[in-house]
Amino acid sequence: MPLALVAVLAVVGGVVSAAVAVYCTPKYTKVGYQPVQPVPFSHKIHAGQLGLDCRYCHNGVEKSWFANLPGSSTCMNCHNQVLKDDALLAPVRESAATGKPIQWVQIHKMPDYVYFNHSVHVTRGISCVECHGRIDQMDEVYQAKPLSMSFCLDCHRDPASHIRPAAQVTHLDWQWSTNSAQAAEMQCTEGKKLVDHLKVESLQSCSACHR
Amino acid sequence: MKNHSPNSSSPVTGRRYWRSLDELADTPEFKDWLQREFPQGASELEDGVSRRHFVRIMSASFMLAGMGVMGAGCRRPVEKLEPFGKQQADYTFGEPQYFATAMPTRGGALPLVVKSYEGRPIKVEGNAEFPDSNGSTDRYAQASILDVYDPDRAKRYKNAGKMVKPEDAYAALDQIAQAAASSGGQGLAFLTDRSTSPSRRRLQDLISQKYTGAKWYAYEPVDSEVHERAATQAFGQTVRPVYHFEKAKVIVSLGSDFLGSEDDVHNSIRRFVQGRKPESGAMSRLYVIESLFTLTGAGADHRLRVSPTQIGVLAAAIQALVQNPGSATAVKGDAAKWITECAKDLAAAKEGALVVAGQSQPLEVHLLAFAINSALGAVGNTISLHTVKPSIAGTISDLAKSLNAGEVSTLVILGGNPVYNAPADLNWSATQRKAKTVVRLGYYEDETFAQTDWHIPAAHYLESWGDATTSDGTLVPVQPLIQPLFGGMQELEFLARIGGLPQTSAYEIVRATFGDVEAAWQKFLFNGFQPGSAAVTVAPGFIATVPTISPADPSASSLEVVFYRDAKTDDGRYANNGWMQEFPEPVTKITWDNAVLVSRKTARDLGVENGDLVDVTLGGRTVTGPIWTQPGMADYTLGLALGYGRTAAGRIGTGIGFNAYSIFAGSYTATGATVKKTGQTYVIATTQHHWSMEGRPAVREANWAEYQKEPNFAEKMHGVEPQPVASLYPNPLDEAKKTALHQWGLTVDLTSCVGCGTCVIACQSENNIPIVGKDQVKRGREMHWMRIDRYYTADPAQEVTREQKNEFAVDEKEQFDTWIDDVQAVNQPMLCQQCEAAPCESVCPVNATVHDQEGLNVMAYNRCIGTRYCSNNCPYKVRRFNYLDFNKRPLADLKGTLYPTAMLGSKTGGELDVVRWWNNPESGMREQDEWDLIKMVKNPDVTVRMRGVMEKCTYCTQRIEHAKIKQKAKVGQTGVARLSEAEGTVPKTACQQACPAGAIVFGDVSDPDSTVSKIKAGERNYIVLGDLLTKPRTSYQSRIRNPNPAMPDYREWPHSYEEYEKVNGAPYEEPAEKGNS
Repeated sequence: MPLALVAVLAVVGGVVSAAVAVYCTPKYTKVGYQPVQPVPFSHKIHAGQLGLDCRYCHNGVEKSWFANLPGSSTCMNCHNQVLKDDALLAPVRESAATGKPIQWVQIHKMPDYVYFNHSVHVTRGISCVECHGRIDQMDEVYQAKPLSMSFCLDCHRDPASHIRPAAQVTHLDWQWSTNSAQAAEMQCTEGKKLVDHLKVESLQSCSACHR
Repeated sequence: MKNHSPNSSSPVTGRRYWRSLDELADTPEFKDWLQREFPQGASELEDGVSRRHFVRIMSASFMLAGMGVMGAGCRRPVEKLEPFGKQQADYTFGEPQYFATAMPTRGGALPLVVKSYEGRPIKVEGNAEFPDSNGSTDRYAQASILDVYDPDRAKRYKNAGKMVKPEDAYAALDQIAQAAASSGGQGLAFLTDRSTSPSRRRLQDLISQKYTGAKWYAYEPVDSEVHERAATQAFGQTVRPVYHFEKAKVIVSLGSDFLGSEDDVHNSIRRFVQGRKPESGAMSRLYVIESLFTLTGAGADHRLRVSPTQIGVLAAAIQALVQNPGSATAVKGDAAKWITECAKDLAAAKEGALVVAGQSQPLEVHLLAFAINSALGAVGNTISLHTVKPSIAGTISDLAKSLNAGEVSTLVILGGNPVYNAPADLNWSATQRKAKTVVRLGYYEDETFAQTDWHIPAAHYLESWGDATTSDGTLVPVQPLIQPLFGGMQELEFLARIGGLPQTSAYEIVRATFGDVEAAWQKFLFNGFQPGSAAVTVAPGFIATVPTISPADPSASSLEVVFYRDAKTDDGRYANNGWMQEFPEPVTKITWDNAVLVSRKTARDLGVENGDLVDVTLGGRTVTGPIWTQPGMADYTLGLALGYGRTAAGRIGTGIGFNAYSIFAGSYTATGATVKKTGQTYVIATTQHHWSMEGRPAVREANWAEYQKEPNFAEKMHGVEPQPVASLYPNPLDEAKKTALHQWGLTVDLTSCVGCGTCVIACQSENNIPIVGKDQVKRGREMHWMRIDRYYTADPAQEVTREQKNEFAVDEKEQFDTWIDDVQAVNQPMLCQQCEAAPCESVCPVNATVHDQEGLNVMAYNRCIGTRYCSNNCPYKVRRFNYLDFNKRPLADLKGTLYPTAMLGSKTGGELDVVRWWNNPESGMREQDEWDLIKMVKNPDVTVRMRGVMEKCTYCTQRIEHAKIKQKAKVGQTGVARLSEAEGTVPKTACQQACPAGAIVFGDVSDPDSTVSKIKAGERNYIVLGDLLTKPRTSYQSRIRNPNPAMPDYREWPHSYEEYEKVNGAPYEEPAEKGNS
C-alpha cells in the first residue's frame, strides 16, 4: 500500500513540478497582461490608421534607456483641434492645464536588476515590434512577448534574424520583401551583412544587462 | 633559478611590510588574523540567539514568507508611470544632467560639476574645464552629497525649541531688522563662519552701512587664516599666498600637512605631483619637519619628527643658515646635520625653493617661512601672493568680551557650531546666552541649537544660490541642483532679511553682485567660473622683522599637544556623515573614532598601550580618550583630532570619539599637558589588520638615482613563476577577446599617489556602497570596494634586535621596539585587479562571477548564493561580502555593539517591524524618514546589493556601458561603435575622476595609442603578485623617492627595497646562494 502511495505521490509531484516549470514562466504569466488605463488611448488609431511615428510621442527612445511617455501637453498638440471637447479626453485636458501627471499603468516592466536600454537597440536596427509586438494593431496595449531573460538571449544569440535597416525600425509591418519566403531569406543574408558591418556585439555577458 | 620566490611558504628572515604594531608584534592573535579570511566570529551569530531561538525565528519567517507569497507574490505589483503634464524642453527622462556649481570652503571654493538624476543630485565631480585644475575633488566634496539627504538635518523653523511656521520666523527676522534700523544696529552682532562669497561680503557691507553699530565676528575652529595674516604682516599688503609646488625644486614643510589636512588640498596634491614625474626627468625634493605622522610626512624624501615647539626653533635655524651659510649651531643633537644639509639644499634651489609653514604653527613660524622664501627669491615663483579684501570681522574672543560686557542684545549666528567647538576658555554655551535674542541659521539641530531662540534650517550648498572665489580669487557660481528639501533658508536670503534689504531672493542678490549682461551671466553659470577673474598677484619684499623663537622642552610630565583637523569629520561638520565616519583615517586607519596619538617612546614612558583610556589634562581641563601608538610621531607629543565627541550630531555622529575641543584654547599647539591612565580600555576599530600581504613586494620603491640606473627595477622584483604546464582548460577570455571592441585596463602610479583617499569616497558615492558601523568594521566586514593599504617600512639593520629575541617570548610589548620610531610609509590603492585568469572565477560553484569579453571580471548579484569561496581564493582580498542587509539597517544601529536580531514583536520607532515590513517590504528596519531620504542618494545605474551577496570593484561597469551605449546610439548604423580616447569617448572610473594626483588611469589596453597602454609599456610598470599567474588588468607604477645623498638619514635604497633584498637577494644579479631556504 505505502509503496503505491509513494508512486502516486511521485507522479503527482512530477506533474506539478513540470507544470510549474512550464506555466509559471513569463511566457504564460506575463504575456497578455492588459490593465485598464486611465484614458482609453488607442495605438491602433494613432499609430496604425493615422500613421503617427512612434517617436512623435516616445521621444526618448533614441536617447535614453526609457522610451518616454508623452506629456499631456504633447497630446494637446493635436487634441486642442481634434476632439477637443471629448469626455474621454477630460483627464488629458486637465493634466495639460494643471501639470498634474496622468497615472498610466505600466505594462512592460523589467526587473530592477536589468538595465535594458531602448536607445542602443532602436538606433542599431532592432524594431519596436521585436519586443512589443504589433502595437499598431492594438486598441489597448497588452504585453505581447514574455520579455524574460531567455527571450532576450534568443535575440542576442542570433541578432542577424532580427536586425533591420535603422530607418525601418518604427515601421512595425516592414519586411525585407513582400514575398514572405524571400523576406525570410533576405533577413538571413542581409541581417548577417548588417551584423558584420556594424560589428554588432549583441553581448551575452552578464555586464551587458546587469550592473 | 633567478631568486627565491617571495611567495614561498618557507620562513623568511624578516617581515618586510607591516601595517600595524600588533602585526609587527607577531602576536598569536595576529597570526590567527592572517590564517582567517575573515576575523573570528565574522560568520557566526553572536548576539545571544540560541539555536532553538534561531529555529523559532526562522519558522516564523517562513510562515510570513508563505503569507507574502500568497498575498503579494503571485500578484503582479501595479506600478504607475507619470509623464509630465507639460512636456519639458531639452530634458530626456533617464539621461543624467550635469550642472556646474562650486562647494564653498573656508578659504576658497571647489569648482564642481554635479550629476543630477531625475532632479536628484547624486554625484559630485570636479569641474575639469576650470583653468588650473584636473577635474578632481577632495574627500569632503565627495562626501558632501550625503549631507543633502541626511535625515538628521534641521527641517523645522523653531522658536525656543518649538516648531513655528516659516512665516513667523520671517516676521521675527523682520522685527530684528526694524529694531536694528531704529537703533542703528546697536547691540547687534553677527557670528559667521568664513566664506569667500563676494555676494555675502556685499551684503555685509550693505548691512554695515545701514546699521553702523552692528559688529561682525568670524570663527572657524580649524582656521587657515594664519597664512593670510602672516603674509599680510610679512609683505605689508593684504595678500593670500598660493603655493606652487609644481615649480619648486626643494620643498620644506614646517609642520604643514599640505597633502592632507591643509586647505585647498586637492590643488596642493595636484601641483606637488606635477613636480614629481620620474619620466619627465623632474623630481622635486620634499623635506618635512613635523610632529604628527601625516600624509605629507609619508610622502617626504626626508622627514624629521620633532615636537611642535621645536619646529619654530628649526625654522629659525634654517632661516639663519640660508642667510649665513655654515652649520647649524643653534640646533642640538642629530638634527644639526639634518638642518644644515637641508638648508644647503634649499639655498641651492634659489627661486625654486619653497618653505611652507603649517596651519597649526604660530604666526612667527609663518613669518620665518616667508623670510626664507623671500630671501631666496621664491616669492613670485613658487609662491604667488594674491591681493584680497581685508576682513572686517573680529574674533570669537572679541565677541565673548562684548557678550560678557552685556553689549550684545541680538546675536545672529550664521553657520558654524560654536557651542561645540569654540575655545574651551570662552565657556561659550553660557556666554552665548548673555545675548537677549540668539538667532541662528544652522544645518543641524546640534549643540548650538539648544542655546538659540530662533533656529532657522539652512539650505545645503547644493540647494542654494551663491558665489565664491577659489584660492586664487577666481569667481565661481554656487548653483542649486534641487529645491531646499525641507524648505531651508539660503544664507544670502537670511542675511538680506536681517539686514532689512529690499531684495531677499538669493538668486537676485548673486545676479546683482555679478552685474554684467545676461549672456555673460548665462555663460558664467554654464562654465562654472569666470575666466580671468583671479585676484591680482603682487610680489612685494619682506618687511617684517624676523622673529626669534624660544623652545619649550617637552617631557613625559609636560607633554606638547597638537590639535589637528581630522581627515574624516573635518572640524566636526562631517560627524554625522556615515561615509566619512567609516573612512579609514589615511595614516592610522582608524574608523569611527579619534585617539590620543603618541610615539613608541612616549607610550612606554607613560606606561600605556594601544586602547588604554587616559585622561589628558591641559590648562586645568581634562578629556578622556584611548591611546594609539603611532609610528613616526614626535616624542612627548600628543596628537588630538578635533571633530569628535559630538553630543547632538545626529544618529551617526553623536557619541563618537572624544571631544578634543573641551581642552582646546584656540591655539593648535599647546604645552604642559599631562596624561593619566584611567585603568580602563577601549576598543578601536581599524582596517589595518585586514588583508595583510605578508611580505610580498607589493609596493616597489627605488631612489631617483638608482631608478635612473635601473628604470625597470620593479619588473625585476617579480617573483618566480611556476613551471609552465599545458592548460587543461583554455581560458574562455582568450576566445571572447577576439570579437571584443575594447579591453579595459587600469594603472595606479604609486609615485603620484599620496594616499588621500578621495578615490575611496568617490567609489562609495558612485557604487552605492553601504556603511556598516564600527562593530562590523571591527569584524572585518567593511564594504569599501577600494581601499588604500598603508605599509610601514623601517631600517632592516635595526630589525636584528627583534629577530634575536626568542620567538616564543614576543608579546604585545614589542610595539615598543625602537625601530618603529623612524619609519617610511607607502600607500597603495587596492581594488579588484580584474585578473584575466581570475582565481575567484574558477571556484564559484554557480558562475556568479565570470569574465565578459572586454576583460572585466563581472559579478552577477542575482546568481550569487554567498558561498564566499571567491573571496577566499582572491589573493588580493578585494572582494566584499554583505553579511547583513546594510542598506536596510537603521543608522542608529550602526553604532551599537551588535545589530539586534529582528523578532516578531520587535519595534522600530514605535511601530511593529512586521507591520513596517508589510507596509513597505523594501525599507527594512529603517524608519520612514531615513528610508525616504537615504534612498535618494543612490546611483540608479548601480544595483543596491542585499544581504548574502558578494560584491567588488567593477571598473565602474555602469560608466563603461553608458559610454558604449551612447556611442552606439550616436553611430547608429553608420559603422562600428568603438570608444576612442582621442575622441574623448572613453569613460573615466569614479576613482580616476576624483583623484587629485591623477595617479589612476583607466582605458582601453587594446588601443596602443591610449594613455593607459603607454603607461603600461613604461619601465616603472609592474603587477602585484604577478607570479601567481593571475594576469591582472590593474598594474602599478613603482614609487620613486628623491632623497639627498648629503643628508644624515640618506640611504641608497628605500627601506622597503632593502628589506626585499635582504629576503630575496638582489634582483639584478644571480644570488650566490639560492634564497634562504
